[in-house]
Amino acid sequence: MGKLAHDSVLLAAAAALSSGIYTASFADDMTLAISMRSLSNPYHATFARGGEEFAKSVGLPFEVLVTEGNSEKGLADIRALIARTGGNVCINVDPNDSPDAATIVEEAEGAGAYVVTQWNKPDDLHPWDHNPNYVAHMSFSGVGTSKEITNALIDAMGGEGGIVAIGGILSNVPAIERKLGMEQAVADTDGKVQILDFQPADWNETKAFEIMQAWLTRYGDEIKGVWAANDSMGIGALEALRQEGKAGSVPVTGIDGTEAALSAIEAGEMAGTVAWDPMWTGGMGLSLCHAAATGAIDVAAEPHEHREFYGTGIVVTPANIADFRTRDASFDYNDYWAKSTGQIQYQ
Amino acid sequence: MQPLLELRKVTKEFPGVRALDSVDLHVDRREVVGLIGENGAGKSTLVKILAGIHRIDSGSMLFDGSPASFRSPRDAFNHGLTMVFQEQSIIPTLTVAENIFLGREQEFLRFGVIDKRAMNAAAEVELAKVHLDCNPATKCASLDFAARQMVEIAKALSLDGRIDSDIVILLDEPTSVLERQEIDLLFEIIKELKAKASIIFISHRLDEVLQVSDRVYVLRDGAVVHETASTEATITGLHEHMVGRQLDHEYYRENKQRELFGESVLSVRNLTIEGEFRNLSFDLAEGQILGIAGVVGSGRESFARCLGGLLPPSNGEILVDGKPVRLNQPHQAVLAGFGFVPSERKSEGIVTGLSVSENMTLAAGDRFSRFGFIKFEQERTECQRWIDRLRIRTPSTKTPMQSLSGGNQQKVVLSKWQIFGSKVAVLDHPTRGIDVGAKEDVYELIREMADQGVAIILLGDTLEEVIGLSNSILVLKDGEVSAKFQAPVGAKPDQIELISKMV
Amino acid sequence: MESINWRALAPIGVFFLLCIVIAIFSPNFLSVSNAVRILNASAIPVVLVMGATFVILMGSIDLSVEGIVALCAVVTASLVLNDTFSANLGFWAIPFAVLAGGIIGAANGATHVFLKVPSFMVTLGIGFVCLGIATAALGGFPVRISDRGFRALTLGRTLGLPNGIWLAAAAVFVAYVIQERTRLGRYVYAIGTDEITARQSGVPVERTRILVFVLAGFFSGLAGVMAAAQLGQGHALIASGRLFTTITAVVVGGTALSGGVGSVLNSVVGVLIVIVLTNGMVLMGVPPFVQQGVQGFLIIVAVTLALDRRQLLVVK
Repeated sequence: MGKLAHDSVLLAAAAALSSGIYTASFADDMTLAISMRSLSNPYHATFARGGEEFAKSVGLPFEVLVTEGNSEKGLADIRALIARTGGNVCINVDPNDSPDAATIVEEAEGAGAYVVTQWNKPDDLHPWDHNPNYVAHMSFSGVGTSKEITNALIDAMGGEGGIVAIGGILSNVPAIERKLGMEQAVADTDGKVQILDFQPADWNETKAFEIMQAWLTRYGDEIKGVWAANDSMGIGALEALRQEGKAGSVPVTGIDGTEAALSAIEAGEMAGTVAWDPMWTGGMGLSLCHAAATGAIDVAAEPHEHREFYGTGIVVTPANIADFRTRDASFDYNDYWAKSTGQIQYQ
Repeated sequence: MQPLLELRKVTKEFPGVRALDSVDLHVDRREVVGLIGENGAGKSTLVKILAGIHRIDSGSMLFDGSPASFRSPRDAFNHGLTMVFQEQSIIPTLTVAENIFLGREQEFLRFGVIDKRAMNAAAEVELAKVHLDCNPATKCASLDFAARQMVEIAKALSLDGRIDSDIVILLDEPTSVLERQEIDLLFEIIKELKAKASIIFISHRLDEVLQVSDRVYVLRDGAVVHETASTEATITGLHEHMVGRQLDHEYYRENKQRELFGESVLSVRNLTIEGEFRNLSFDLAEGQILGIAGVVGSGRESFARCLGGLLPPSNGEILVDGKPVRLNQPHQAVLAGFGFVPSERKSEGIVTGLSVSENMTLAAGDRFSRFGFIKFEQERTECQRWIDRLRIRTPSTKTPMQSLSGGNQQKVVLSKWQIFGSKVAVLDHPTRGIDVGAKEDVYELIREMADQGVAIILLGDTLEEVIGLSNSILVLKDGEVSAKFQAPVGAKPDQIELISKMV
Repeated sequence: MESINWRALAPIGVFFLLCIVIAIFSPNFLSVSNAVRILNASAIPVVLVMGATFVILMGSIDLSVEGIVALCAVVTASLVLNDTFSANLGFWAIPFAVLAGGIIGAANGATHVFLKVPSFMVTLGIGFVCLGIATAALGGFPVRISDRGFRALTLGRTLGLPNGIWLAAAAVFVAYVIQERTRLGRYVYAIGTDEITARQSGVPVERTRILVFVLAGFFSGLAGVMAAAQLGQGHALIASGRLFTTITAVVVGGTALSGGVGSVLNSVVGVLIVIVLTNGMVLMGVPPFVQQGVQGFLIIVAVTLALDRRQLLVVK
């Protein structure tokens, strides 16, 4: 019925638009959608796939909106989608920029659509202030997970020595949080581990490659470990080490859990990464949204820790990579908070 | 009476060259002074000193009795010395009024906003002085070349009454791009201007200089070699002073004119470009020179550009060696055997950044390369041969084109088509803006080309030139052939006959 | 009586000055191993500027660099032994990838010439199309190269230098020969300086323009191959940031954006300046917040020195 239902929604929407009349209810023909930055990186590609899997499981039409890093485009697409569906839509959105979240919630409230946000939102925007349309906000603890992966790096170094650290775009929230977590973990060693240098490489592997080269000149064998704020930059640094025949002899960590990083861990060339499980954020975000829209849960009655919560970031190291590969990644769409690691804390 | 502008013992040196050597020159109030000299004689250096582009090394310049040293053309302008150059300083995207008052909008500012109505009204006054009947609000791009020249002069005249001092207007080759009627109009205007301003008139056309000036200076090798009242001078006399030698043979090399031609090369049948010219038909044989006469708007420029592949014909046929050719693109024209020498030498004839030899072989790339790789030695030898033959003054084949004088640049353009082996040379004002000596070299080359069997179509700089060089002449009027003249040596038509068919 | 054009040597002066300043603060800079690292990091940008220089000399611009490099890197990674597709062409993947670059370049040139769209817009659009294809073909995931032998293309060493440097040197040689010794090279200068005259002289302007974009496509394709070999993968974002380096290097090297003036050798120096700047900034420990500002400032200084402003009446 999926295809048929989808078509009839479009026809109805077209008819409504042409006659200038909006009808708020379309019975069961609800549209599910995901909005995010781009399809050209593995995290978001998987995030979209997670949403699609859920849509298949409930047999509803599914759409992907891409902002291409442009807030205006992201908002315009969401507006168009809400208008087209007459508000009968659930959107799991990773806003391009924090302020966008407020506008999206406003739009959804006005039209009766349901929204779950990921990663970015203003600190003073809360789902419980916008019942029932703003269902929930999901994120990951940047500081906490970064601290964990840094500890894994320090372990791989034997607990002491100098590290070099490659950061993301200096103004990005995740970049700031991850850097903070790394610094906290290093501070906890009481001076046994020192940060030799910190350089931002803007999430870019080529830049990380060039910076790593310069560090090899500046510090040479002083470098006992390399910390990178994401896997792409970690791989860039690793390839710079490989050029000098040092791949595998200096531990490197990343964050994101990309296939490239996981393989490098298996090959003994990387010391760890953090897997976010975007299948879960994509699928569960929509599931929660759908549950609120259909009345399966009453969001107003749910506690705050069910409205703003952290997901589970899994620290993957050579020690647990085999287990990670064989783990049961499936999850129950109706067990909404099974993977929550607590209510979001503001710094 | 104190002269308005005076140069005393002005000397200017450039590395290796003394461009001006102790030049004394003065311009009285309400006087027209002619300034002539071959290219390289120092005229342009003198102009640049007056404009404040160059500083004098020694000597002094007095304006209105007090020592003057202008910092820039704009500075000179503000002091009352204004210039009209051959390369126009009109900006095509601005209106006539905006061009006239460019940089002096202050006068029309009302609360920081330009009062366009007032500016246009003021422009009307200036345009009336040059008898140019056009709306000051039109964009200059829509004006023809001659009209733009008039706007330029109007711009210079706008100084009159706006500053305290008397003004000097310097006209640098103002007639080279104008047609006869426009030149007559310009001379009328100059006569009127004399009531208000002094004028320095620079031209290659000695007859014009004599006609319009009160006094004439002749420059040669950076020095004033002759000064005379116009009433006492003759063209021949001035010419001798300019070149420093007597005319040793006939100006247009009529003794070398061919009277027998080879095979027919070019046949044009009912050639038409809508709105430009209609039903043009003629045949041209190897070694024959066909002059095309006509006023601006007669269609002759469009016809030349059509043969250059720049204006596709809307109707009719062009046959080269009996075979029809298509001329929709310049390179089709080149391949069909046409060598087009454009009137706009600087913008269309030469590539300034490239060297002499690179310009010479630009069209003949195939001959000087194998598998796309250039055969440098062969290229150099061939170019050197042409440099020697045409007496092109250049230190080497590798010299950048922009460091050559206009006449020498034109010789390079002509040699480009000779090297390529064009069958038909289309010469659109080949001697425009070059000095007498170089002109003679170009005439010599045209005769040589004819001797080698090149068919030549000539749009002359002057009617005299067309008559002197051509074997036969087509006169165009309003896009149609109004007359056809034979011009064998000894039985050349005279200018009056041609003009009567032109207008 | 030909005199040396000191302006043309300005970029070299800037380069040496930069090296001296960095060496004073950080003696390690002058080590052989760092020199090799700088050359290695320069290899891909050098290949890219070879094409970009011709395009800019012609007075056009090529903004599709990142798109072509990414797509060709994906093609390369997909044709050698990899984790996504079943192909194992080994080094035979190279001609395919380079050819792909040439075809995209031809699309750039043909669209630009036949539809008379400014190269700025055409190449920007085609670049996005390439990124789109690379993204759609892989669904956002990278193709990872499992062929160790293939990666020797950049990881291996010959006569002590990484192979990537040799590849870049070969690219420079080819480009220099084209620039100095062929009609194509001469036509590029003629068109860049004065297209009207070149056209009137029968220079096949349209064909030359297309050929130059094809040439640029080949170089971008080769850069894509090298990027894939260097990072061991191909994905849509592999070339991000390359466009800025490429255009900056060409201009810093003294090639005028208005066309007609410059040389591929100048651009090599331009790349070295940009790369040494990045390297030196890390070596000298310039705080990250200041780096971008310093970089921008030094680029303007370098360009100012390289341009002969006396001849420029109008700067756009």
